[in-house]
Amino acid sequence: MQPFTYVLPENLSQADAAARQPDTVLKGGGIDLVDRMKERLQTPARVVSLLPLRAELGGIAVEADGGVRLGALATLAELERHPALATPALAGLREAAASTASPQLRNRATVAGNLLQFTRCWYVRSEAFRCVHGGRGPTCLAVTGDNRYHAVMGYSDCVRVHPSNLAPPLLALDAEYTTVLEGKTRRRKLAELFPSDPRGQAPEHTLAAGEIVTALHVPPQPASARTSYAESREKQSFDWATTACAVRVVLDGGVIEAATVVLGAVAPVPLPRPAARLMLGQKPSAALFQKVADAAFTGALPLSQNGYKVTVGKAIVREALERATR
Amino acid sequence: MTAPAGPRDGVEITVGYRGLGGMPDRLEARAVEPAEGDAPPWDANTPLRQVGGDHDRVDGLAKASGRAKYTSDVNLPGLLQAAILRAPIARGKLVQLELDAARAMPGIAAVVALKNVGSRVRFVGDAIAAVAGADLHRVRDALAAIRADYEVEPHNVDWLRGEDAPLLDADGEIAEPWPEAVALEGALALAATTHGATYRTEVQTHSSLEPHGATARWQGEDLEVWSSTQATFGVRGELAQALKGRGLRVGAVTVHAEYVGGGFGSKFGAGVEGLACCLLAHAAKAPVKLMLDRFEEHTTAGNRPAALLQLRGGLDAEGRLIAWDVRSYGGCGFNVERGDGGGNVAVPDYYTRAAKTRRKHTDLPADTDPARAMRAPGHPQGWFGAELFLDELAHKAGIDPLELRLRNDSQTMRQDQWRFGAERFGWAAARARPNAPDARFRRGVGLASARWSQLGSAGRPPHGVQCRIHRDGSVEVRSGAQDIGTGLKTVLALIAAEELGIDPKLVQAFTGHTGDPSGPGSGGSTTTPSLSPAVRHAAFLARQQLAGFVATHLGADAAEIDCRDGTVGTRTQRLAWAEACKLIGPNPIDVRGQRFPNYGGKPFSASVCGCQFAEVEVDTWTGQVRVLRMLAVQDCGLVIAKKLAESQVLGAMLQGISFALHEQRIMDRQSGRMLNGDFLRYKILGSADVPELDCVLMTVHNGHSSTPAAGLGEPPAVAAPAAVATAVFHALGEPVRHLPITPDKVLAALARRA
Ligand SMILES: Cc1cc2nc3c(=O)[nH]c(=O)nc-3n(C[C@H](O)[C@H](O)[C@H](O)COP(=O)(O)OP(=O)(O)OC[C@H]3O[C@@H](n4cnc5c(N)ncnc54)[C@H](O)[C@@H]3O)c2cc1C
Repeated sequence: MQPFTYVLPENLSQADAAARQPDTVLKGGGIDLVDRMKERLQTPARVVSLLPLRAELGGIAVEADGGVRLGALATLAELERHPALATPALAGLREAAASTASPQLRNRATVAGNLLQFTRCWYVRSEAFRCVHGGRGPTCLAVTGDNRYHAVMGYSDCVRVHPSNLAPPLLALDAEYTTVLEGKTRRRKLAELFPSDPRGQAPEHTLAAGEIVTALHVPPQPASARTSYAESREKQSFDWATTACAVRVVLDGGVIEAATVVLGAVAPVPLPRPAARLMLGQKPSAALFQKVADAAFTGALPLSQNGYKVTVGKAIVREALERATR
Repeated sequence: MTAPAGPRDGVEITVGYRGLGGMPDRLEARAVEPAEGDAPPWDANTPLRQVGGDHDRVDGLAKASGRAKYTSDVNLPGLLQAAILRAPIARGKLVQLELDAARAMPGIAAVVALKNVGSRVRFVGDAIAAVAGADLHRVRDALAAIRADYEVEPHNVDWLRGEDAPLLDADGEIAEPWPEAVALEGALALAATTHGATYRTEVQTHSSLEPHGATARWQGEDLEVWSSTQATFGVRGELAQALKGRGLRVGAVTVHAEYVGGGFGSKFGAGVEGLACCLLAHAAKAPVKLMLDRFEEHTTAGNRPAALLQLRGGLDAEGRLIAWDVRSYGGCGFNVERGDGGGNVAVPDYYTRAAKTRRKHTDLPADTDPARAMRAPGHPQGWFGAELFLDELAHKAGIDPLELRLRNDSQTMRQDQWRFGAERFGWAAARARPNAPDARFRRGVGLASARWSQLGSAGRPPHGVQCRIHRDGSVEVRSGAQDIGTGLKTVLALIAAEELGIDPKLVQAFTGHTGDPSGPGSGGSTTTPSLSPAVRHAAFLARQQLAGFVATHLGADAAEIDCRDGTVGTRTQRLAWAEACKLIGPNPIDVRGQRFPNYGGKPFSASVCGCQFAEVEVDTWTGQVRVLRMLAVQDCGLVIAKKLAESQVLGAMLQGISFALHEQRIMDRQSGRMLNGDFLRYKILGSADVPELDCVLMTVHNGHSSTPAAGLGEPPAVAAPAAVATAVFHALGEPVRHLPITPDKVLAALARRA
């Protein structure tokens, strides 16, 4: 590891100022960042830890309008068990947090860090390889190399997948995020956090240098809203999703009035699917869900080794829909 | 307790076993000839109080609390850290190596070359040079400052793409005709049912929790080394030989391996890392620690070779195997020469007594690091292929897989185990339970056999164990052999306590220091069967000396004195153990026991038998397989420490499930580098994947030594992957012939069925 200055800010404005110094990175739990630093993929001169700001940036609370505010530093373990998330409308978020990594990691991992983590592509994350990601090399090595865990859709010149468990349910819930930069606070739709054209050269997210995520906001949910999260993996413990899906449905008298389907781990960014619209005005049924699942993967272009992800991904969409409407 | 045997007396003992559950006893009398001076044999009728009991691991608390110090925990004043520069290319030549820049860096104490300019580079990770310095960060910076240039040659890391590899069709079946075999083909032609198929397994890395490595300290001419090893004496000899040029003699080398965090066959030598550590410590004139990191563990410290095997065979109308043809290939890295690289694939031979058989094996090279022995080398691979093949054959013939085993298994002991195990597991009911045709989750059950043969040996010259009884009543037993986690310390303590008639808590066992009597390397499941009679002999000799003191004190004949229930004395006059030990002078009773050769004549059973049953659930939507429960029935001769023996079996089942479902080395063809050389991507069974595990140990008295334990580390590892794979076949109605059984392969099998 290269030597670096470790900054422990006392308040948000100190953090804001420190974050804008050149060659500086922000650290939440540090799980993703420190891994990349050890691998020498990132060698910053300064690391600003946000953890001293837990009072301001942590916690989970129900807001005045009935929405839920997730502090950027709230841990995945808190999401798992906080009473504010104990509703059927937020079940998907809870499930996504609970199925992440291991209990130890969930005690440490923060909401913002989880959304902003880098891809787990084995070419991207090794200093031995020079691929197109981050402009380290000319081409994507996974396209011609081993791509069993890579993207099946939504990619252009880099076939990495977005690994975050929390992104699909938060997108399905139409969440927003607040940031601070140069003393200014901005609140935007979560979808804007992810690049619309996720090329290899482009950063994994759209934050400006030094911009600090302070909170996520889940809008108030109607009583009949339901979410669920399902994922496929190769083993029960300590594994990454090979495909993931979060769905949100609102049922009115047994008929689907609103529906969202968001896929994870199949593309360089979490991917809302327009196929959800097929359900509007329909009654839940296995046949309908199969149709939606198939449609969610229209346009999929699997690589040489990951065709199975399309089959599995469809099953996961079905499972998420069945669980949300059960 | 039996009376000590006189010289050359034949002793009549009872060998065999008591039937498990309702199975018959198979006991018989046998005359054996213990060596002169050896302890008398324990047999099926010897009442044992400690041995076979449910004792805890004697060092369990020390390990769980961190008090146990492993090589990686050793810390010495002024200790330097070290690491190795690894070749980034898979094949070529080292043409330039410049170390001076690294030497001049701050905090760097020594730099040594491990390869000469002009030498060949054989795989990504081949060791080039090593650096020692104040901390690992500075050491890594120095490694980056070493200039190494290579002449790069084209490489191939896929062993099935080499020139001599057999041609495979799109389904992974060997597409080349079998070489002619007239008798065998004659038998096949007569068979009522025939079958042929190709099976394949991937490279599994040892993944020991403690990495390979050493800490070394020179003091004048003397070298002291802490090594994470399975062979303390082997490492000592190897280092002395390698460092002969520095005037080192074997006697001046001390090796410590008091605690070892697993080895599974990969830690028999000091390795390039051990030697580099000693060279750096010599050059730096300071103690040095060099432990591999996880990537180096996966890529340079050995692995279970990949295997490809093709079988064909036939059953007669009665379901008896009459023909059995096997050809196999092993993929074991660059060191394959003339077809031999240690990649051999073993298959069971007890089903084919009446069959025409043929076996041929070839190892194939690739530009990857060499394989090493791994827990039952060649067996899990071969048994997987052979047992799944048998299930497919049984399926074609309409015979239940258990019934097929019962008709063909020539070993009585396993016949008993099959019947007992099937009953306990609920085989018939589980096998008959249908899966609904449209069910998302399909269940299946499978089974597989195991075999090993290891009754231990005397060693040449014989292994020894030291036993001391102190006047404070404490007992010390010492072996210079290592406890790699299998439980040697507990075995030594329990046997000594049994012989001395005392609470095992009074016995302290020490292992893994070359100042103590020599013992075997821990390979082939030899340690317990080899050293049990040696510690027994040591305690037996110590007991005789104590009896002498007590006899004098009581005015009795030493021959009348025995030790039991914490007392020592004659039938009428007994001293408490603590009182008896007070008769010992300031110097302890201090004796060395030895391992005598196994008794002549045939043991009751020369092989260890076992069988395993597994139930799986397959998610047909996602292709994920989960093992729900498993049962192992396993013999291991005389069970010494029951809890530890069971833990060997449970661990083997878990490792086997992991091999069957998850583990595989994934290589990048273009760079020749392993892609999943860490525990994030090299997938190993985790705690949430652990099924319900049941283990029944069977004590078998083989009558081969005074203390007749048999090897247990390896046999249960033979059956587990096969049991899982046959259960998946039952669940799907379609075999998956390529391990690991990952979701993509399950879905492909389902697509074939549809
Ligand atoms: C074995 C293992 C298994 C795992 N399995 C899963 C899984 O199944 N699903 C899953 O989703 N994840 C998984 N993870 C990843 C883990 O969840 C993430 O690494 C973790 O959530 C990151 O959170 P952190 O707080 O540690 O982030 P950090 O490492 O601190 O930060 C990650 C990135 O976000 C930036 N950042 C952090 N906080 C802020 C902020 N407030 N404002 C602006 N930028 C910020 C950092 O600069 C950095 O670039 C796994 C990790 C491991 C090690």
